[in-house]
Amino acid sequence: MTIARAPRPLRLRPTWSSVFETGLGARVYPYLMVFPAVLLVLGVVVYPVLSGISWSFYDVTLRKLNSGSFTFVGFKNFERVFADPVFVRASINTLVWVILNVVAQLGLGLALALLLHRPVRGIGFFRSGILVPWVVPSVVAVLTWRWMYDPSVGIVNEMLVRLGIIDSYRPWLGDTATSLYAVTVESIWKGTPFVMLLLLAALQLVPRSILEAASMDGASGWRKLWYVILPQIRVSFAIAAVLTFILTVNNFNAIWLMTEGGPLNSSEILFTLAYKYGFQRFDLGLASAVATMLFVGLVIATTLYLKLMQAREAD
Amino acid sequence: MSLSVASSTTAAATKVSAQRKVRPKLALKRVLLYVSLWVAFVWSVFPFYWMIATSLRAKADIFRRPPSIVPQGITLQNYVDLLVSAHFWRFAMNSLILTLSVTLISVFISVTAGYAMARHRFKGSVMLPLFMLYGQMFPPVLLLIPFYVQLRYLGWLDSLYGLIPVYLSYMLPLCVWLMRGFFSQVPHSLEDAARMDGCTRWQAFWKVILPMAQPGIVAVATWVMIHSWNEFLYASTFILSEKNRTLPLGLSKLIGQYTTDWGVLMAGGVVTAAPIVLVFFFLQKHLVAGVGGGAVKG
Repeated sequence: MTIARAPRPLRLRPTWSSVFETGLGARVYPYLMVFPAVLLVLGVVVYPVLSGISWSFYDVTLRKLNSGSFTFVGFKNFERVFADPVFVRASINTLVWVILNVVAQLGLGLALALLLHRPVRGIGFFRSGILVPWVVPSVVAVLTWRWMYDPSVGIVNEMLVRLGIIDSYRPWLGDTATSLYAVTVESIWKGTPFVMLLLLAALQLVPRSILEAASMDGASGWRKLWYVILPQIRVSFAIAAVLTFILTVNNFNAIWLMTEGGPLNSSEILFTLAYKYGFQRFDLGLASAVATMLFVGLVIATTLYLKLMQAREAD
Repeated sequence: MSLSVASSTTAAATKVSAQRKVRPKLALKRVLLYVSLWVAFVWSVFPFYWMIATSLRAKADIFRRPPSIVPQGITLQNYVDLLVSAHFWRFAMNSLILTLSVTLISVFISVTAGYAMARHRFKGSVMLPLFMLYGQMFPPVLLLIPFYVQLRYLGWLDSLYGLIPVYLSYMLPLCVWLMRGFFSQVPHSLEDAARMDGCTRWQAFWKVILPMAQPGIVAVATWVMIHSWNEFLYASTFILSEKNRTLPLGLSKLIGQYTTDWGVLMAGGVVTAAPIVLVFFFLQKHLVAGVGGGAVKG
């Protein structure tokens, strides 16, 4: 007599994560997975931003913060900021700084991307070399340039003298007429390779057939660039422009480590001005007011950036 | 027959002469191309070269006037001076600890969040990623003051662990955004197949999806590492005592009010840049593959 053994139903070894398979567990699962990230972002991004904005409406200095006696003053901080001649100077400088950086980085970046796009011998070598400024840590790069600008033994001075552009060594960073532009040169050097990378990626997506068609129709190099290539990469170009804008407005290291905004505020931008209000004068309300204005500008730029991203995805 | 040969040779001859006519123009174009490539190359690499060259010079050579482009003699004295100073190792340790903790935390948290956003429909699964991208664009100067006050309040000012949440604030949002992109490239069918074979949700994620998304994870981790290693603004504002400085901060403090030892400073620059440059050139292919999205065959 044999006992007919009923086959045991095939069952998986239950694990702790079976909880998430059905019912409430399954519904909660995705929320659980995003929860830590959302919590952290709320804590370290959203809350600080909101409190930063609200502080621009309070009369608060470090001493008042310690005693806990700070008061709501409405738009008074903004009035005080606008009345400060240094703020006007910093605004103009920021405008110059942003325009020079964006125009030069986009122009040079496009030129480099077009140069590196063609498959000639040794292009990998050139590409790696041209990416060097992007790879070097920003503090290291800025300090190296500061050394190159040295007024008594700097290599920049020596080279310009040898090329016959200037007669004698100059303190590029210590002169109110040149300090902002000297820092700008470093910033362009550092930022261009990234723009080049973005545009190179876009160039590689331009269909070869379009270029060939243009050549067949007898388009010259420049016309091909203007009428065929540029319209094809326009969205990437715009994205690169907005990104460069954001990065330039937020570029603190270059100015702070070369000139600290000096001499005589000649290279002060809004970022360094807000920093000085906050951490040299310890007037946190004033600093927050400047930061809030920068924030509004950047939010507009970011919105533009996202719109462009969506336009690219739709293309 | 002979006629046809003759005609073909004349045809070849006219072709050659036509090429001759074109060639000088082509050659000129080629020369121009290489000249501009070399100009761009020298412009990009020269400051890097100058940093290394300065770090290998003797003190007298560094301050010689006029400066010479090629060092007169090579010495490692600057590196010895840098490495025997007790602080350098301290700074390097600080940078390393900070970088590793920020990288680990942000990768762990962004992996799960990015996956959930790419795979599951839930309330906010559309808005949340966009919001993350916005979070990345907030200007650090606006966050600086609230952070300062908060860290003071918590007593975390001037400490390495106080910097961790601060660094996360500007790393995490973009990490989540990038991770979401990588996970959305892993085909749905793979996960479905794993589930059919009896994996629980978690097992399918852990054993099937994560290995597939590995190139993306490496790319994001590298990105976070590079940025935390290089960070200067927050470190210089929140770190007050010398023993807690990170490498970039320690480097910047080598600038003296009146005199600066540029040889040692540039040696420090080389040592600080070296890991980043090495990581970049070793992982270049990997990074590009990860970012370019060619990592997963769909």
